[in-house]
Amino acid sequence: MRSPAHRQVDSVFGALADPTRRRVVETLAQGGTVTASGLAEQLPITRQAVAKHLSALRGADLVTSTRVGRETHYKLRPQPLDEAAKWMQTVSAEWDRRLEALRGSVEKRASRSR
Amino acid sequence: MKLRSEEPAKQTDEKAPWVERETLIEASPGEVWEALTDEDRLEEWLAPEVELDPTEGGEISVRDGDDERHGTVETVEEQERFAFTWSRPGEGESFVEFTIEALPGGSRVTVVETPIGPSAMAIGAWGSLLPRLQRSVCFTLVA
Repeated sequence: MRSPAHRQVDSVFGALADPTRRRVVETLAQGGTVTASGLAEQLPITRQAVAKHLSALRGADLVTSTRVGRETHYKLRPQPLDEAAKWMQTVSAEWDRRLEALRGSVEKRASRSR
Repeated sequence: MKLRSEEPAKQTDEKAPWVERETLIEASPGEVWEALTDEDRLEEWLAPEVELDPTEGGEISVRDGDDERHGTVETVEEQERFAFTWSRPGEGESFVEFTIEALPGGSRVTVVETPIGPSAMAIGAWGSLLPRLQRSVCFTLVA
């Protein structure tokens, strides 16, 4: 089941590639649930630009939205970030294990030739 | 996906690597170099089956049971730097770079692995964003 996780990681990284989108995510992370207008007030971009970024983030499953009356409320969905972070941890652990094996292999040989 | 950013994706120092690990080895850079670039030696530590043409543009294949990766050698700087790309079938590519530094009595080996292509653009920000998000959002991050 690595591929779906990988695709999700890839789309998370993709969604966060844009610096403004990262600002949107950070603002959402602080604010709980907000509207596009509320976000636009906190960021140096228009409401339309905010809506566009929210839509991209929703595409990466990073944001959920609910209709409340005439407003749409947005909320950060941290699970995909969590998934990406876990993946980073996995790769780190893989390299720790490999580097330890490398060290063992090289030192064994080096001590033999001394 | 809209993945255009102001900055081009580059595998340079201005992007924080996705993963960076290092180890200290009591052996010379030459001895480390051999273990990194000889396919028989790679089979001692990287994976049971390794095929490698250790020249720039050469191919690398790494197989451990069902887990298989293929890629291309990018950088070969004798005893200093060895880099390649690799990916599992159907998955995104990443760039892997080993750097060897001579120390008194041994060597420091650093490896970085960084996704390339669309993902790479997010990497620089990723390192700084994650800790801040972790502070403000309840993560179930540490298993």
